[in-house]
Amino acid sequence: MILAQSRLHVGREMSPELALQTGEGAGQRVKHPEPDAGGIVPLWREVPSRYTAPGYYGLALLKEPVWIWSVPSYFYIGGVAGGSAMLAAALHGKKRLRRLASWCRLLAFAGTTVGPALLTYDLGKMSRFLNMLRVFRPSSPMSIGSWSLAGTGMMATLFLLQGDRSGAVTRYGTAVGGLLVAGYTGVLLGNTANPLWRERRLLLPLLFMSSAAASTAGVLQMMPLDKREEKVVQRFGLVGKAGEAASMVAMQRNDSTVPEVAAAAREGKGGMLWTAAKAALVSGILVELLPVRSPLKRKVSGALTTLGAICLRFALLEAGKAAAREPQATIALERGRMRR
Amino acid sequence: MTTPATGFFTDTSVCIGCKACEVACKQWNQLPADGDFFSGRSYDNTIHLEATTWRHVAFVERQERLSGQSTARPFSWLLMSDVCKHCERAGCLEACPTGAIVRTEFDTVYVQPDVCNGCGYCVVCCPFGVINRREDDGRAWKCTLCYDRQKGGIEPACAKACPTDSITFGKLDDLKEMARNRLQELHRRGVTEAWLYGMSERDQPGTEGLHAFFLLLDRPEAYNLPPDPSVPTKGVMGSWGVMALAAAGMAAAALAAAHSRGGDRK
Repeated sequence: MILAQSRLHVGREMSPELALQTGEGAGQRVKHPEPDAGGIVPLWREVPSRYTAPGYYGLALLKEPVWIWSVPSYFYIGGVAGGSAMLAAALHGKKRLRRLASWCRLLAFAGTTVGPALLTYDLGKMSRFLNMLRVFRPSSPMSIGSWSLAGTGMMATLFLLQGDRSGAVTRYGTAVGGLLVAGYTGVLLGNTANPLWRERRLLLPLLFMSSAAASTAGVLQMMPLDKREEKVVQRFGLVGKAGEAASMVAMQRNDSTVPEVAAAAREGKGGMLWTAAKAALVSGILVELLPVRSPLKRKVSGALTTLGAICLRFALLEAGKAAAREPQATIALERGRMRR
Repeated sequence: MTTPATGFFTDTSVCIGCKACEVACKQWNQLPADGDFFSGRSYDNTIHLEATTWRHVAFVERQERLSGQSTARPFSWLLMSDVCKHCERAGCLEACPTGAIVRTEFDTVYVQPDVCNGCGYCVVCCPFGVINRREDDGRAWKCTLCYDRQKGGIEPACAKACPTDSITFGKLDDLKEMARNRLQELHRRGVTEAWLYGMSERDQPGTEGLHAFFLLLDRPEAYNLPPDPSVPTKGVMGSWGVMALAAAGMAAAALAAAHSRGGDRK
């Protein structure tokens, strides 16, 4: 069998000995020549020619995000890295908070190291991860984010190595970089054609930034802390948690202006994760406000906050997929915009 | 040296749904097959534009007549060969962090397969849902407007194969002229539904005009086209502004927490 000899020619019915492989798509690799069509289109849910809603047989108008679990995981870890980078810089020079500051530096370093690895794992061509730094394209939040992440990683490494003796450049660099890393992901999601993310584009940066503060505090709360440290972490965290809760409420209200978009956000896995995120966040705040003082309370609150922040990132991705699958969300959103 | 911008004008009023464009595209570009299956949606088993499908013929069965047609029952076919629109302001291009997506000398939008690292951001930034990442290949792919053929001075494979000249390739200015004339003629003949989709910035401010535009006979959503597509970057400054404010808030919260004296005393 000539056809099966080279992987390049699988699925093309071309003999490599007779056909020159020079077409624009000739390099496209095929491992699965017959992809599972059932996954693309639900078959015959209704008689297609009786489809009456505006649209094309209910088929998706947009493409679903192709990102896998590592991307929302990065959103969370990047948030923790960004928040702790900022906190580490703010704590610098506070003698009694030296231990907390060093944990923050370590978290910032670890997050900016693990983060790029997670992002690389999602790439279709992992070996080309350095292409992210091939150009700087200010129109692309992902380009700005890649440079910020790389720069912050370097700064956080220096900050970790220099510790308490670090200079102003390292501190300010880490702080500014950390803020960018914590927030750019919100801009990145908002700057898409996805109807759900696009509708929320002014709230997403707020959500990611406040959730970054909450996530940082959540992780720190799970560590052994003395009273003074606990107070600092609690104050930083409560601002973040309040901001996160407020952004989530605002998002839901914002979604409801286009019912089709709101429905996509509520549906399926994304909706469930969103509800879980809300429940975990609120119970985390409630536990924290209990009028008892105990390390257990603090740790439970931290764990709940962490759980909520992780669910939130996955909820955003899953809801984005659902919104892309639903053509009516895009159509209704754009028709509404045209009427305005 | 400047090369004039080129593009496609797809006149759906003369499309007969033969799918010759789909076949010519697959064959010329040596794209892999998509597998055999029946979608149950009219004669459309291609379903959508994909990483491996750069032309897609849509089959719309409408339970109403088209002006100027006489049928026993109220019924009409709408057929349209869809393709990457090569937008003036392209969402994929502005989103690409690696510089893999570029604008060519023909003012078309081209993905360089040797640069793309498969980050998948263009996939969510295309307001038409055209470009996609192929799972087993790992990179993003879409119509190149036959960059290789254009460099050789010949027209793209789909336009060459189209038996009714529903797909016309040419210089963008000539195509616009041709489209306006065709629209006028159709209106004169009483086909009042005909209109031009995305020909100029005035028609489609969100993309500032398409280099592959269409003459349609119904609302865009009937063909699975977005009614008011817009390049995502058009609203991005607002998002950056909110992020800056939120960043200032986080910095303030961190400084306030670090300087709080409340925890100092027992």
